[in-house]
Amino acid sequence: MAARWFPRIYSLCLAVARWLGSPIVDQRTGRVLGRALLLPRKGKVWLIGLDVPVVPVFLPQERTTFWKQEIGFTTHPEPDFPHEAAQTPTSPPPTLRR
Amino acid sequence: MTGRVLNLILTHQRAPQIGAMLKWWERELPGGAILLAVNHAAEIGDREFDAIPHADKVRVDDPRLRTRDHPRHRQSYSAVFRAAADWLATRPEFGFVHFAEFDHLPLTADLNDRQRALAERDGADVLGFAVRRVDGTSQSIWLSHATDEPLRKFFHDRSVRADPTVVLSMFGSGSFWTRAAFLAVAAQAEPCPVYLELWLPTLAHHLGFRVRGYGDGDASARVQNLGDRVREIEGARAAGAWSIHPVKTLWDGTEKTP
Repeated sequence: MAARWFPRIYSLCLAVARWLGSPIVDQRTGRVLGRALLLPRKGKVWLIGLDVPVVPVFLPQERTTFWKQEIGFTTHPEPDFPHEAAQTPTSPPPTLRR
Repeated sequence: MTGRVLNLILTHQRAPQIGAMLKWWERELPGGAILLAVNHAAEIGDREFDAIPHADKVRVDDPRLRTRDHPRHRQSYSAVFRAAADWLATRPEFGFVHFAEFDHLPLTADLNDRQRALAERDGADVLGFAVRRVDGTSQSIWLSHATDEPLRKFFHDRSVRADPTVVLSMFGSGSFWTRAAFLAVAAQAEPCPVYLELWLPTLAHHLGFRVRGYGDGDASARVQNLGDRVREIEGARAAGAWSIHPVKTLWDGTEKTP
C-alpha cells in the first residue's frame, strides 16, 4: 500500500513546493525554466522542484552594491563541440584499458 | 560516411516476445540489419536463447544491466557495447550503429536514412536524445558522480579536449553512432561504476567525437523516459514521429491502464 501511495505523495509535495516557490529564469536566455522553492538551510540552499539542470551564477551589478548580491540560474548551451578525435578506428577495438 | 546501419536492439524478454518485436522491426524497417543483444541471466539457460528466431544475436549476462533503480544503481550498457563491437569486428560493411532498447520502436521505413542524413548534416559522430551538458549543474545524476575521483582522473588523463571536466548526459535508448565512435567507446572500461546516461556521451566527447542531439522536432517528439505509450503509436506515426519510446506492453499482448 505504501508503494502505491508514495509516488502520489511525492508528486503532491513537489507540486506544493512549486506553488510556494517562484519562477526560475535562465539568466542567459530569459526563458522561464520552471518553478522551484529555494530554502536556505545551514549555510546551504535547497532547490526543490526544478527538473531542468541549472548552473547557479552570481549576477552582475549595474551599480556597485556591497550589502547584497544576487544569485541567479542559467543553463549550459546545447553541446556543440567539434570533432577532435585523434584517430578514427574502423578495425576491431583495442584491448580494454582500465 | 559510408556503410550500412546496424540496428542493435537490447532486450531481456523471452523468445515469443522477441519474435513479435522482430516482426514489427521487419515490417517497419524492411531490409534493416538487426543484431539482438539478449540480456538473459545464466539461470535462464541456453534453450531460451537458442529459441529466439533470429540468427544475429549475442547474449549478454551482466548484473549491471539488471539494476532495479537504474540511476542510483548505475546501470551500465558497457557489456552490450563490447559484445556488439566483437560482433562488428568481422563485419566491416557496417559503418553505423543505431542502439535501441526493446521498447523503442521505429515508426518510419527510412529511419536509418534519416539518422544518417542528420548525422552527416551536423557532422555528428553520435546522435542522442536529451543531450545536455550537466557538469556544474543541479542534475542529480551528475551530482551523485561529482566526487568520484577515479572518474575525474580517468577523463583528466585521457581527454583530448581542452576542458576535461565537461560531462554530457544522453538518454539511454535511440542513440546513433558512427562505427569509429562506437568501437572507441566500446573499447573503454569504466574506471568505477558510472551510470550509462553519463558514461556513453561523456566518454565519446572526451575521445574527441562530436556528440549532438536529435533536436526538438519529429525525431524526438515521442521519446520520453517513463510511462507506456502503447496507445499512442498510430497517433505518433500520423504526426510524423520518427520513433516512439517507451512501448512496454506491446509484445506480451497486455496493456497496462495508463
